[in-house]
Amino acid sequence: MKRFLLLCLFVVGLAVALTSFKGLAARGTYDSIVLDFREDIPQEQVERRLSAIAQEYDLSPRLNSEFSAADNVYIVRGDRALLQKLKKELAKSTEFVEPNYTYGIPPLAEPAETESTGDTPTASVPRSQFAPDDPMYAKQWNLRDINVEGAWSETKGKGVTVAVIDTGVSSVPDLKNTEFVEGYDFVNDRAVATDDNGHGTHVAGTVAQSTNNNYGVAGVAYEAKIMPLKVLSASGSGQISDIAEAIKFAADNGADVINMSLGGGGESALMKEAIEYAHNKGVVIIAAAGNSGQNAAGYPARYARVIGVSATNATGDKTPYSNYGAGVDIAAPGGDTRNGPAGGILQNTIDRRSGNGIFAPLQGTSMASPHVAGVAALVKGVGVEDPNEVTEVLLQSAREVSDDPNNHYGAGHLDAASAVQLAMKGKLSWNHFFRWLRDNGYFNLKFWFDGGVVALLPKVLMVLGSYLLAWLLRTYLPLGSWNLATGLIFGSSGLFVLRGLYIFDLPQWPLRVAGSSLPELGTAVQGSSALNPIFASVLIPAILVVLLLGSQWKWFAIGTSLGVASCLAVSAFFNPALVWLGGGIVASLFLLVNAALCFGLAALSAKPEGA
Amino acid sequence: MTVKGTVEYREIGTGAWVLVGENGTTYELGASAPDALLKSGLTVEVEGNVDENAMTLAAIGPVLEVKTFKEV
Repeated sequence: MKRFLLLCLFVVGLAVALTSFKGLAARGTYDSIVLDFREDIPQEQVERRLSAIAQEYDLSPRLNSEFSAADNVYIVRGDRALLQKLKKELAKSTEFVEPNYTYGIPPLAEPAETESTGDTPTASVPRSQFAPDDPMYAKQWNLRDINVEGAWSETKGKGVTVAVIDTGVSSVPDLKNTEFVEGYDFVNDRAVATDDNGHGTHVAGTVAQSTNNNYGVAGVAYEAKIMPLKVLSASGSGQISDIAEAIKFAADNGADVINMSLGGGGESALMKEAIEYAHNKGVVIIAAAGNSGQNAAGYPARYARVIGVSATNATGDKTPYSNYGAGVDIAAPGGDTRNGPAGGILQNTIDRRSGNGIFAPLQGTSMASPHVAGVAALVKGVGVEDPNEVTEVLLQSAREVSDDPNNHYGAGHLDAASAVQLAMKGKLSWNHFFRWLRDNGYFNLKFWFDGGVVALLPKVLMVLGSYLLAWLLRTYLPLGSWNLATGLIFGSSGLFVLRGLYIFDLPQWPLRVAGSSLPELGTAVQGSSALNPIFASVLIPAILVVLLLGSQWKWFAIGTSLGVASCLAVSAFFNPALVWLGGGIVASLFLLVNAALCFGLAALSAKPEGA
Repeated sequence: MTVKGTVEYREIGTGAWVLVGENGTTYELGASAPDALLKSGLTVEVEGNVDENAMTLAAIGPVLEVKTFKEV
């Protein structure tokens, strides 16, 4: 048992070493140059040379340290261009002129959490790699509340059209990069549907404000297109007949999602029919629950085919103005400005009086509804077309509120990341696969050139296979986990490019070991291509799982198990050779059985208890 | 119909004027409301009709189209 433990420690230690090894191909950076003058030339000549280059290139050469005088080693500040010039100029009087590379701890693969030093209330909010560069994004608590960054890794709503049935939409500066499709102004009966109130522009901003444009604020589905449909006048009211026509217009002109941040009146057969019409054409329809603080949402939110949205504040509670009860299907941030503007939903819109662009913090179920419309666009963006399915995804992925006797929240709090994740289930996403390859360095050209010596095809199949196996278990696996990815690579292929490196005077076995996957480790020192059946089996993955299941390294163990499964399965077909057992059908069977066991082991240990 | 109540401005969406009626209903004042009526705290008696076909961005209550009003 002691030996087993030692073996495990060895394997874990090796894995840590391998995964933190950045490769020998890394290029350093430099901002200074080392000049090593020959020691057989007189000191005066060295000094003459130094003062000559000091004058010519405006440099101040200094000894590298007090110990450098004897060796004539000097440092000057400079770049590649200066290096080339100095190499030519000092060729005769120096032993070498070379870059003074900077060495340091390599940056973490995962972007570090940065804490902004500003005095915004969100100073300590962690920023993911999908955090946009919009300067006022830090004030958009509402976008963090719905976990939108987690969805942006998959889609930003490209190819989806959202109809905003409202007061019109004006082209404010922070909608400059947002795509528009033709809409209509049903109030003034004209094709151009500009905003004369400020409401519709704000709502459109929540859906698709230009994002990552280094200006203003962000929007939920910022690559989606906006179809502006004006049905409300400057005073903010409109007629059901216009709204019903606008719904039909949207359905007939390619809208995928309709947002209606409006309400009032009673049930209307005309409107109901228009909603049925759009629904049958595949349009997802979302509306604000209304702002009278009453039990029961108003129309149109209350129609069966419409997703009614109640409004929450920055702490996730229902706002006092929001309707609740019948007709509320889901809750989203609507804001509460009673304690100041920071509690509102901030978007770029127009000032009603002057018509100028402003950033306004508004509150209302009007503001909550476009969050859901934006996420519906994201769900459609990953390929869910049927409006019933989109609704199902939105409601199922919402963060349920357990104690909600009066239906303040419907299915719960809107969650963009979970919605998109749920929408992607059952869809093999090339987007995700390519990102996974890139994140793990497989798109690096050096990787392929350096890997030339190694038999590439089986290695590539092992890597792809490990990903596919992980994908099969995606319900239970954190596919973005660094530990999991490390395990997958360690189990399936190792840092196999290292095997192709040849370094003069160095023994080759350490590189072979570092470049080997777990199943290959048993024979890596000898350099044999046959596999050792102890290493090329379920044994070590099983030990790793047992030891690491309760720790944060759990996903590494599971990843390793999946990686080994892939490696063994590929080896069973490409090169079934085992020491002691020989080749042929016996080896293939052994490898396949163990591959299946490894997959089973990973599947069992990945599932949460009771699942 | 006649509604007695207090005029208030509500910060909902881009803002809306309402009449908090003594009958327990809050009415949104429609586009026809004269400027003289739109003063927060004004107690008034309004003669008008509820527009069943109107929808608004404030969605805060039935839309009351005002014909006449008097301060009380």
